[in-house]
Amino acid sequence: MAAAPEWSEQSRELQAQLVRVGLGDRAAFQRVYQMTSAHLFGVALRILNRRDIAEDVLQDAFVAVWHQAGSYQAAAGQPMTWLITVVRNKSLDVLRSAAVRRETALPQDEDGNALDLADDRPDPLGLLEQASDALGIRRCMDALDAAHRQCLALAYYHGMSHSEVAEHIAAPLGTVKAWVRRGLDRLKRCMAQA
Amino acid sequence: MNYDRPELLDRLAAEYVLGTLRGRARRRFEQLLMTLPAARVSVDEWNSRLARLAEPVPAIVPPPRVWAAIAARTSARTAARSADAARETARQSRWATFWKPAFGFAFGVALTVGLVQIHPSGLVSLDDLANESQALPQSYVGLLTDRNNQPTLLVSSTRQGTRVTVKFLRPVATPAGKVIQVWALPREGAPFPLGVATSASPPGSTTFDMSGSSDKLLATVPRLAVSFEDAPAGARSTPGEFVLVGFCVKLW
Repeated sequence: MAAAPEWSEQSRELQAQLVRVGLGDRAAFQRVYQMTSAHLFGVALRILNRRDIAEDVLQDAFVAVWHQAGSYQAAAGQPMTWLITVVRNKSLDVLRSAAVRRETALPQDEDGNALDLADDRPDPLGLLEQASDALGIRRCMDALDAAHRQCLALAYYHGMSHSEVAEHIAAPLGTVKAWVRRGLDRLKRCMAQA
Repeated sequence: MNYDRPELLDRLAAEYVLGTLRGRARRRFEQLLMTLPAARVSVDEWNSRLARLAEPVPAIVPPPRVWAAIAARTSARTAARSADAARETARQSRWATFWKPAFGFAFGVALTVGLVQIHPSGLVSLDDLANESQALPQSYVGLLTDRNNQPTLLVSSTRQGTRVTVKFLRPVATPAGKVIQVWALPREGAPFPLGVATSASPPGSTTFDMSGSSDKLLATVPRLAVSFEDAPAGARSTPGEFVLVGFCVKLW
């Protein structure tokens, strides 16, 4: 299926390259990597917060792209959407795995209390605001409480689960679930109106 | 869980894409994805929406060792034997691109040769007989099958000739306004167009001319394919989805 008329030049080129990758074209594969790996690495690193693990995930993601490019279809969405989905899903799978949780567990003092290590990743709410600006839905999204938006941002950019968000912002689990749902509903509505 | 309510399905799809749907609920939803088209549509829409949120995430160039590792794991020599390839190939939903013939290469060749022997007259038209240079036995032959591995087209040409004969073993239902574009899938590199075949009712044949001789164009081409295109493809075109695929064998 051909690219949709409203796609950007970059999207069209990516799609053309992915079709070639699906047929075993190695030069096209390297081109896709050149065009997208930095952005995708940024996405993975933000979720995983560990360079070595993020490198492994990026590697796995591109190996999957090599083998699955044939099954990417333009009808399902733009090529970058597919690539981001592959990387995000792999990052979340790794993040949730017990092995990684053990390795990245916060160190403890002699009483067994978790030592407070500052997370050096900037607050994801800012990223959500930037994305909203770019999409032209900032005003629409800002109608939602910052706390609600922050739940969505923590879940998306840092890959946090409901419980992790609840712990991070010190709010009840049920509240966080409702706020995430509200954030998603609002996002859908705002994007539909834009 | 009642999956009939569209808003519930949409909410699950959103949380699935976001990543907050985990554990047993996630696995149940993944099974639903395989059977309920509405779930797939919802997930595709949410993938598109949420992917836009990733745009402002700062890009960070990965170190060269990452690409080195990717290249090593996807190299042609190891790919055929690696567990990666086996796992990924098993998950192919788009059959034509990683097309596996029903009974393997050897059978494909045997079937092709056998058909050539049964239908020699089908491979050489009266026009060709009149033109001596085309009246030689066909050298390059391809048997193209459909999604269900049904032999559909017999494609053939002589070594020095530029004319390709397409014999219709089964009808090819061409969508309105589209042409039957025949592609060559070389061993290395992207597919290139060979020409457009006019449709015919079985067991009829039609022909088209290539831009070069078969020896020149098809010597390193192990496979042929057909897609429906809006217009004849140019040298730089990329193919749409393949509807027929088959081996291209050089008989002599």
